[in-house]
Amino acid sequence: MGLFNTKNKAAGKPDGRVEGIAKVTGAGKYAAEYKVDNMCHAVFAGSTIAAGTIKSIYLDNAKQVEGVLDIITHLNKPAVPGFASETKLKETRFGLPLFHTDKVYFRNQPVAMVVADTLENATYAASLIEFTYQEDTPTVDFKKAHPSVPLKMQGKERGSLDAWSNAPQVVDQQYDIAAEVHNPMEMHATIAHWTADDKLVLYDKTQGVVNVQRTIAKIFEIPQENIEVFSEFVGGGFGSGLRVWTNGVGAVMAAKAVKRPVKLMLTRSQMFSLTGYRPAAWQRVKLGADNDGKFLGIHHQGKNGTSVFEPFQEGITSITRMVYNFDNLKAEQSIVPLNLGTPTWMRGPGDCTGAFAVECAIDELSYQLNMDPVALRLKNFAITHDPENKKPYSSNFIDECITKGAEMIDWKQRKQQPGALTEGDWKIGYGVAVGMWGAGRGNASAGITMEKDGTMTVKTAMTDIGTGTGTAMQNMTHTFTGMPKDKIKIALGHSTLPTAGSQGGSTGLSSISGAVSAVCDALKKQLADYAAAINPAYKDAKPADVLLSATGVSLKTDKNEFVSLADIWQKNNLTDISVKASSGPGAERQQYAFCCSTAHFVKVRVNTKTGKVKVERAICVADGGTIVNEKPAANQISGAIVGGIGMALMEEIHADEKLGNLVGNDLAGYHFAVNADAPIIEVAFINKPDPYVNPSGAKGLGEVGIIGCAPAIANAIYNATGKRLRDLPITPDKVLV
Amino acid sequence: MKPFSFSKSDKVSKALSAKKEAVQFLAGGTNLVDLMKKNIAVPDGLIDITAVLSDKVEAQSGSTRIGAMVRNSALATDPQILAKNPLVAKAVLAGASPQIRNMASTAGNLLQRTRCPYFYETSTPCNKRKPGSGCSALHGEQRMSAIIGYNDACVAVHPSDLCIALAALGASVNVTDKGNKQLVIPFKDFHKLPESTPDLDNHLPKDAIITSVDIPDNPFNKHFAYVKLRDRDSYAFALVSVAAALDLDGTRIKEARLASGGVAHKPWRWQKAEQYLKGKEANAATFHAAAAIVADEVKPLPGNGFKKVMLMGAIETALQHCLTA
Repeated sequence: MGLFNTKNKAAGKPDGRVEGIAKVTGAGKYAAEYKVDNMCHAVFAGSTIAAGTIKSIYLDNAKQVEGVLDIITHLNKPAVPGFASETKLKETRFGLPLFHTDKVYFRNQPVAMVVADTLENATYAASLIEFTYQEDTPTVDFKKAHPSVPLKMQGKERGSLDAWSNAPQVVDQQYDIAAEVHNPMEMHATIAHWTADDKLVLYDKTQGVVNVQRTIAKIFEIPQENIEVFSEFVGGGFGSGLRVWTNGVGAVMAAKAVKRPVKLMLTRSQMFSLTGYRPAAWQRVKLGADNDGKFLGIHHQGKNGTSVFEPFQEGITSITRMVYNFDNLKAEQSIVPLNLGTPTWMRGPGDCTGAFAVECAIDELSYQLNMDPVALRLKNFAITHDPENKKPYSSNFIDECITKGAEMIDWKQRKQQPGALTEGDWKIGYGVAVGMWGAGRGNASAGITMEKDGTMTVKTAMTDIGTGTGTAMQNMTHTFTGMPKDKIKIALGHSTLPTAGSQGGSTGLSSISGAVSAVCDALKKQLADYAAAINPAYKDAKPADVLLSATGVSLKTDKNEFVSLADIWQKNNLTDISVKASSGPGAERQQYAFCCSTAHFVKVRVNTKTGKVKVERAICVADGGTIVNEKPAANQISGAIVGGIGMALMEEIHADEKLGNLVGNDLAGYHFAVNADAPIIEVAFINKPDPYVNPSGAKGLGEVGIIGCAPAIANAIYNATGKRLRDLPITPDKVLV
Repeated sequence: MKPFSFSKSDKVSKALSAKKEAVQFLAGGTNLVDLMKKNIAVPDGLIDITAVLSDKVEAQSGSTRIGAMVRNSALATDPQILAKNPLVAKAVLAGASPQIRNMASTAGNLLQRTRCPYFYETSTPCNKRKPGSGCSALHGEQRMSAIIGYNDACVAVHPSDLCIALAALGASVNVTDKGNKQLVIPFKDFHKLPESTPDLDNHLPKDAIITSVDIPDNPFNKHFAYVKLRDRDSYAFALVSVAAALDLDGTRIKEARLASGGVAHKPWRWQKAEQYLKGKEANAATFHAAAAIVADEVKPLPGNGFKKVMLMGAIETALQHCLTA
């Protein structure tokens, strides 16, 4: 079984991506690839301490490098209004007062910026700047720092701890997760061009052009509409593109200072410090059940690291409130300031972390009960209602996901007794865990421009970070109008297009589907109005009655009432038709709770001599409502599983305790999973429309694919070896020693 | 990167006479160019010697000669190597990525610098990068550090996979020095321990060029294995690696070769264990005993005690694979 069920002929060949050819031929432009006349280059010099104060800066050697136009430090920076005071800085929500402080909060913090005619000259000059510091002792070790930070209540307590103090079955364990970095293939980069004193054009690597407009407008105090942002192609994000980082602000500052367009692209090692990461986390889960496996209560505590200059709290305990029926639930959390950059949302933020502890604890309980972990979960799922707010789920097929996944992996091959399956030095084990994510939807707008030959361009400001948004828009437009797909073009990622929020939190497709539906209706209505001038049958036609083809329109009620596009254009004297529409969530959000879910099943082999863990099979069954396009949808899930394998087995960013530097901050030293580490990932979808979430019935799939993957692997390792490993990543040394 | 001059040479003698202080030879460039980008290597100039060096694998009387410029990917698929020294091909394929192997040269592989993370981070002390500045890894992150042959000056390890196979097979390195004299350096004497000069990785004479590597004909083309344990299955340096080869008479071991990467400042031959294996029955008990001999020799640092257990497992696994693979 591969990605697709090839035996099912009716399924047809999955569509390719609308941007595929542009990407593989290099025609698609990423932020750093735009050519702007007279452009120069900015490069950061980073601090070489992790905590302290800048005492002196020596620039003479750097200034002598050919082509250097300016060197910006906190001593000579052009004042940025948003960084003028603590209060203003808070309003910008930017966090770091870039070049507006002599304080060093973390290693590799930008402390100088060279602007030069070429990237080479700027890079070389930046390497020649010398600093002296007054150095403080940095705090970078999360595991050592967190015990002294107290917990605080997180949300309301449900029931009480006392209610299950005599639970006959209790699991009470602690779980650790190392910090991980996003490191998308495309480095974060910005080209900034001031076209007037208060007008700015930005080419930026981001997951949301509107967020860039909003943030830069606040920081530089110019009207948001004066900022034009291009982000037409994005080489991955995983959440790192949901914020504006120093490359954006630095490029804008530099461009202002030298009065020329400036490009600032981070280096790979800067990516580790300057674009966020999934923070290290500690958790304690106490889980109580009766002797039949019915959950009685849960106490979930979590802490995560943040920077010393900006609080960032992960929603670690959120998932605990969603998946299972816990009559009694208490959650506590806190954050631990460290001399590191600020963390940010990373694929499945919070839930991915929380699910590791909860799903492992449930697995531990299943062995304690001698009960199949699938059966234990099925017994306790909250299927019909959100256990927190008691609203009915609009749709929730997590039970079908786990049942189908168990069939796919042939779950009965698993032995309840750990360590029972052996092949030579290899032990074989099976593991399961589930994931859930709120199926959100935001406001979004879309536009369509139609030409006489029927060619339509569907447009939105939303970006496509590789998830297949554009392809899905083409699919939906085809479904909603009937227009053949080859007539439907897509334009994305530009702030002058109809506005839409960031592509994050698995809301992209869900939000844009409403806008696409609305704009397709607007187009059909418009065409019907024009057609009515030729054929009175169209006079009161509703959008739902109108069907498009490459050559004209017809009525669903009577296909013979065909009016050609040529006639419509001629009769109405048109050059093109342009329509725009917006859509967003409504009253359904008050009535229902919304979720998407996954069930993960893995089979691992663990070598008892070398500690090697090999994921032999990885199966993910996902409920994402209607699957608009199976190929990018499955691609989302399999990419997430590769991320989950990395999280479970190898990803870890480690800071030297004394020096504060990130050890091995390049793609050779930081181990994310590669193809060799992943089996052929088997993905299946429930593919049932959600009746209320949006007009397409599709729920987002970006996050939920990774949530539950790591605990499934950890649980399989236990099943294989009898060794319970609660500290991610599970590297071979932990398996062995 | 610091500006530098660039020239090409077409003869070994010309390249040698053009060589000046602070000028470096460039072959595949897969390591040197990275080091220049990170301001770790800061040469005033580069001399491209790709055209002066042989890119052929040739049979000699009693040995196989690998030209210095034979790319890693070519070496791994060369029919003579696969027939006579398949352990070399196995080791090469365990290293780097296909893109890097397509560029990297045989001689360059011998000369690649350590991957100790502190060597790569120029803002931290490192005796290998800046003699006298101290060793950050000695009290820092030691996952990738040595477990034998190190001292307080340097705990870095040699990163190559190819060299572990070459050490096991008793290769030798052919060198032309600045005065155009030909030298032969036995592989075991080519790389060095840190001693008081951790900035030097090997005994290649100053300004000399490696022209080829010879592997003596050997009986180790039937029972061999290369086991590399690492944090991911491709594009990662070894936590520990083992090149193992057996010459068998039925089930009796006539001769054994055992070498490791990821454990020391140089490719490390486990000679005591090799001696032990000689004449023994090739079975799990023998292999376990050999691994225990190795384990007795190593002295892990506080941060890499796991490597001792892992190395034992790797040795047992590699020796077992010699019988089955």
